[in-house]
Amino acid sequence: MRIGIDIGGTHTDGVLIDGTRLIALAKVPTNHDNLLESINQVLHGVLAGQDPVRVRTLNLSTTLTTNAIVTGRIDPVGMLVSGGPGIAPKNYRIGDHFHLVYGSLDHLGTETSALDELDLEEAIAACRAQGVKCFGVASKFSPRNPSHENLMVAALGDQADFVSCGHLVSGQLNFGRRIHTIYYNSAVWRTFRGFSGALSASLKGFDLQAEINILKADGGTMPLARALDAPVQSIFSGPAASVMGILATSPLDEDLLMLDIGGTTSDIALFAAGEPLLEREGIAIEGRPTLVRAIHVESIGIGGDSLIQVEDGEVRTGPQRLGPCMAAGGSAPSLMDALNVLGLAAFGEVQSSREGLTALAAAHQRTPQQLAQEAVDAAVNILAGTIETLIRTVNTKPVYTIHEILEDREITPKKLIVIGGPAAVFRTLLASRLGLTVIVPPLHGVANAIGAALTRTTSHLALTANTAQGRLSVPMLGIFRPIPRGFSLQDAINEAKNLLATDLEQAGVPIVSDDIQITQADTFNMVDGGYTSGKNIRVVAQVRPAVVARLDSDASAIRLAGQP
Amino acid sequence: MLKADTSLGVIFFPAFDWAISPTHPEREERLLYTQDQFREEGLFDIEGISEHRPLFATDQDIMRAHFCFPSVDAICTESHRISAGGAIQAARLVLEQETRRAFALVRPPGHHAMKVVHGNRGFCNINIEAVMVEWIREHYGRKRIAIVDTDCHHGDGTQDVYWHDPDVLFISLHQDGRTLYPGSGFPHENGGPRALGKTINIPLPPRTSDEGYLYALENVVLPILADFKPDLVINSAGQDNHYSDPITNMQFSAQGYARLNHLLKPDIAVLEGGYSIKGALPYVNLGICLAMAGCDYSAVREPDFNAAALRESPETMETIKQTCAYVLESYVHPPMGDFEKQGEFFIRERKIYYDTDGILEKQREELKDCDQCRGLRLIKTSSSQIQPCLGVELPIDCCSACEREGYEAFNRRSGEFLVTQLLDQKNKQFRYLSKG
Repeated sequence: MRIGIDIGGTHTDGVLIDGTRLIALAKVPTNHDNLLESINQVLHGVLAGQDPVRVRTLNLSTTLTTNAIVTGRIDPVGMLVSGGPGIAPKNYRIGDHFHLVYGSLDHLGTETSALDELDLEEAIAACRAQGVKCFGVASKFSPRNPSHENLMVAALGDQADFVSCGHLVSGQLNFGRRIHTIYYNSAVWRTFRGFSGALSASLKGFDLQAEINILKADGGTMPLARALDAPVQSIFSGPAASVMGILATSPLDEDLLMLDIGGTTSDIALFAAGEPLLEREGIAIEGRPTLVRAIHVESIGIGGDSLIQVEDGEVRTGPQRLGPCMAAGGSAPSLMDALNVLGLAAFGEVQSSREGLTALAAAHQRTPQQLAQEAVDAAVNILAGTIETLIRTVNTKPVYTIHEILEDREITPKKLIVIGGPAAVFRTLLASRLGLTVIVPPLHGVANAIGAALTRTTSHLALTANTAQGRLSVPMLGIFRPIPRGFSLQDAINEAKNLLATDLEQAGVPIVSDDIQITQADTFNMVDGGYTSGKNIRVVAQVRPAVVARLDSDASAIRLAGQP
Repeated sequence: MLKADTSLGVIFFPAFDWAISPTHPEREERLLYTQDQFREEGLFDIEGISEHRPLFATDQDIMRAHFCFPSVDAICTESHRISAGGAIQAARLVLEQETRRAFALVRPPGHHAMKVVHGNRGFCNINIEAVMVEWIREHYGRKRIAIVDTDCHHGDGTQDVYWHDPDVLFISLHQDGRTLYPGSGFPHENGGPRALGKTINIPLPPRTSDEGYLYALENVVLPILADFKPDLVINSAGQDNHYSDPITNMQFSAQGYARLNHLLKPDIAVLEGGYSIKGALPYVNLGICLAMAGCDYSAVREPDFNAAALRESPETMETIKQTCAYVLESYVHPPMGDFEKQGEFFIRERKIYYDTDGILEKQREELKDCDQCRGLRLIKTSSSQIQPCLGVELPIDCCSACEREGYEAFNRRSGEFLVTQLLDQKNKQFRYLSKG
């Protein structure tokens, strides 16, 4: 059996799943001052009458790190950053303890100026004087050559409680994102460690012997022990959990769209042949892009409570929200009120909706029905426009080979899965506007927890090999070692698969090699002075986000915990 | 974090699966390290700098710019269509005002491809700037366009395409043709009889560095542009003036390239040559992108940059100043060329060598001296590989007499020509007629 828990902004949801059957679900308000309490309540709910020893896996999605960052409750981080020619490194300044250390590497990883030890000593001394205990070290092009970062880690010695090291975060190049990612990782490390300790203690009280995994923004999980070193990977896991929940209840291998309509905003995600579309490089937090892999979720300001306004004779819906809709006791007419007036919904106090729209319509020479229709049309147009733009963007994303330009399969979703409060109401509206089959699955508002329960561990690594230098690099695993001149692309692919499988095994996650996908495999003839000097090989391997089981569609016998 | 003052769309298309041959300078590896540098710098994370994929140039797109013999397909592979499509995408972004500027960082290049094409010259099959310019005029109407060719080699192809077109100002700055391929681009080459002074050539001595290059830009190029008042400025952006380029002899730097674009402010830049793929391109391309986007580029420099060692000698500077003075004067008062005339036609007879493909072309161009329009142009061409073919070009302002005469020439089935191609800019008719 598997337990999935999603701690959201408002509610904490939990499910217990046995194989493909949903056994129990629970929903409690989230106590932001004590997340453990919310977790305990949900566990009491779903485990009532069950044998906890049978639970093999507990997957947890939490807003802990996201909230810590956006509310500024984070540790100060000493940033030791070494740049080089290009965009000046001062442009990546983050936090109050950002120190530049002179030194540089080029794009091949060749040292072009040595790391300045005096700069380094001064930076560390300044951090020490201010009581900074968590650090991040990053040098430009460190995935090509980690030596400068390793020197900085060594110089910190035992003065640091925790150090995030740039090349271990991702094998992908992006200096700015690397800096942001290690900053946030170190900033939330202490908070996450405290939570993890308390969580483990608490679970013992339930007689749970399950392996514990933490959800990531890419919709997959990581073992709790791994999360202790990489807590930043747990940001924005909530929307990803919902996407995986959809995946657990949808047909396989199709292009699909998902729309999650909430009160204030709606989230849109796209699946290509059943796989959720990921951000190209990583997700942004506080407007800062990172290397945290994430499902691409488009968030727009349209929801049930979106405010209806008339400006210059034009009806607008959203993105503002002034409290709940009038049908739920609010003071200004919103999208849900318009749906009530049109008879498409019968939510709450329908009479209040009518009164609100009648007053606004009279002020703008319309009938309430006309106003309601225009407001709904405006909302549907925004939703449809965003969906169309998303599909177009995906189909015109940059590519780098002639083959891809000529042969790329166009993504053409035919189905839209809508979840969230007003989902059913939008079924016909969106179907006619977008020409898609619209499906509203019966998920009892816990798609997020279902997704959390059924998702699997994801991982990836980037490998580069340069046979002219005779060197193999797998930065995320800290592997930099010699290779023979004859090292081939196929050797590199095999090596990447082996290393990824071995690493997951060490983390206690056995996988079969079919689960590993190669997403990039390129080899370039390198020429120096007119002669071939070697090969430049780039391989990326991943275990993609996927669910371990698809839920039975018959969910009639489910008991909602806490209700009779 | 950085933010672009001027939004910039970059069409980055390295064609990682295309090469002329495995060790040719035009090979898969050429833009690999530029991509690494862009990724590491997070160029596309800068607000206002976006990345786009190329479009695909159709037969019609290419036939607006070129006479391809015996057919477009015989000249163009998909790689050329995508490269030209990258330039078209750049133009589309700017003319649809999706971005203020655009840089087509694409390969293969195009500026040695002339009006008539039989094969590959100087790594170029079709002229991607010309295909782009004709696409712009097709979709957005007649425009005044300035093409500034900053490749180290003379842009002889682009010069040839626009030799007779007074709406297009072509300026080429390049290493002196007496010392480098293709051996042309002298100040006296200043346009055909109907477009005199609209072709400008600024040959620079070998070992010209930042000061000399930017002197020519500020003292010749910018004043001429201010006078011509183009609707669009296009930088035909070769990167082989760089001090580390393996096939040229100049001493320009990444800072110099960034400053050049900062001063020139091109609406569109299109990559041409540049083969120092590790030591120059990553830095030069980054400098150009930042400068075009109005971002701070002051820290962009090569790891081995040494301004003092690269500076040009006083003698070199003196030569540059003399050339610049002469060129500027010949823009203001273009000397009447020595145009040969037979009857009512201006005649040019030339032999053109296609170095990459080893083709020798013989060409006779007849331009009608018409007082009603720019004049009908007939180009009779044959090569070591192909029987005579005929190109018939009707200019945008074509008069009815030239139009009639042009269509008569196109439709005449004398058996003299293997293939005839019509390029009717007035009625937008572009097609072939085969013998028999």
